[in-house]
Amino acid sequence: MTGSLRSFARRLLGVARHPTYYLPWIIRPGLECALVLSNVEARFKPEYASGPFRASVVQYDAQGAAAHVYAVSIQTSTDAVELPLKPAAGGWGFVTVTGDFAQSDLYVTLSDGRDYTATHGRGEFVEEYPRMIRLLLAAARGAASLVGRTIPVFTRNQYVFVGPDSRSHVLLMNLSNVTNSIRAVLGADGRVAGSRLLRLPPMGSRLVDVATLVDATSLAPGQPSTSAAWRLRLEGNAWFNLYLVGAGPLDLAGPLSLMHVK
Amino acid sequence: MSSSLSALLSGTFYENGYDHRVEIIHQRDAGAHRRLESLDVALYDGNGALLATPAVDPGLEILDLGALVRGATDTRERVMVVLDARYDEAIFPYRPHHYAYFHRAGSTAAPLYYAVNATLGGVPDRVGATNINNFETYVFRQRPFAETYSLLLGCLARFVPVQAQVFAYYGSKRVARDVTLAPKCHAEIPLPAEDGGERLARVEVKALFRLLSYVVGRRAGTGDLVLFDHLFTYAK
Repeated sequence: MTGSLRSFARRLLGVARHPTYYLPWIIRPGLECALVLSNVEARFKPEYASGPFRASVVQYDAQGAAAHVYAVSIQTSTDAVELPLKPAAGGWGFVTVTGDFAQSDLYVTLSDGRDYTATHGRGEFVEEYPRMIRLLLAAARGAASLVGRTIPVFTRNQYVFVGPDSRSHVLLMNLSNVTNSIRAVLGADGRVAGSRLLRLPPMGSRLVDVATLVDATSLAPGQPSTSAAWRLRLEGNAWFNLYLVGAGPLDLAGPLSLMHVK
Repeated sequence: MSSSLSALLSGTFYENGYDHRVEIIHQRDAGAHRRLESLDVALYDGNGALLATPAVDPGLEILDLGALVRGATDTRERVMVVLDARYDEAIFPYRPHHYAYFHRAGSTAAPLYYAVNATLGGVPDRVGATNINNFETYVFRQRPFAETYSLLLGCLARFVPVQAQVFAYYGSKRVARDVTLAPKCHAEIPLPAEDGGERLARVEVKALFRLLSYVVGRRAGTGDLVLFDHLFTYAK
């Protein structure tokens, strides 16, 4: 029912959804980010199994600018190509992949040179709002921000974990052509522990250190040797998604992992 | 119990020394949907012996696997943890999966967050993959890392062994290995990083029935898990 209403509202407002495959990226000192692209899952589908396969990868920086564009080609469905990403403003963001690779899941890897972690991207969409709706959203967003709120068109809920020597960060990605005010609310033990209003430019991203939303010492840390789960609620005025970023004892200065969520 | 409930049989592996948390449900707002109807948990050793069936409150949101295993068994070996859930479909609005987070105490590696293998959905049209899902693949990075690779396979069948073939690809060479797992048995199948000077590029698993399957990467020396991921089915 809710889905039907949303669909009706989108049509009424002229919001377009463009199918998009995207992956997050993070580059930090000593941490490289590379994509692994292939079309291997299509090898038994006659209509997709014959190469060559070509794709275009657009790397958006934290401010939503298309910082780098890469052209990728492989000859057969069993080939794979590694694409090291270049540094870009902010040190994180997402890439979109268009072309012949859309029949397979694609990987993003993070490596400190010793080993690597990996996860796959998402085949979803980017929302495009027409000019009049963008203006209306901007006005409503401005009014709501005066009281620290947003227009909660989209809501995501996610557990985040904090342990004695590991923790979750969250990479938020604005998958729309409007500025997205995302309200992050952290809860634990049935109470709101803190919140913040984050402003992401169109196609922009933000790496959120969840612990900075609150005074971490005010939260029950759980047993000393194990992790605690906090509840993170995210509300945005336009479509967005997130990846969890896992950090070890060196936090963001050490090896990291990326992981898709539900 | 209502016959309109959905079912989810899934599983993972617990290794000693890890802080390992399983999200039993997806976090949502509606309090009424924040619990499973039932959750049966069973622990098996590598030979398929039932170690324990610890009682678990289906109202839990996060299951501490370390505490569960330590409280129910004395083993320090790897344990296959089978989660048999019944739930109102509103709990899992998307593909029904548990998710989990783990990190080894004292490790400098990053923690990993992963989707727990949904081995038998019970209700196929809610699993999200109604085609065969027992022919899977995974690709690896080609540059050398100080890392070892393997597959963790578990057999959730009740009565019959499951035969599987594991194919590792090195350049144009294919290395095949047959694996037979009796009910509830599990094993770690090594995937050498190199063969004949060629790097491990890809792995495939073919099985008669769906296996619990994870691709694993371990740090050389410490064995810390740095990769723990599901494979991808060819038949979407």
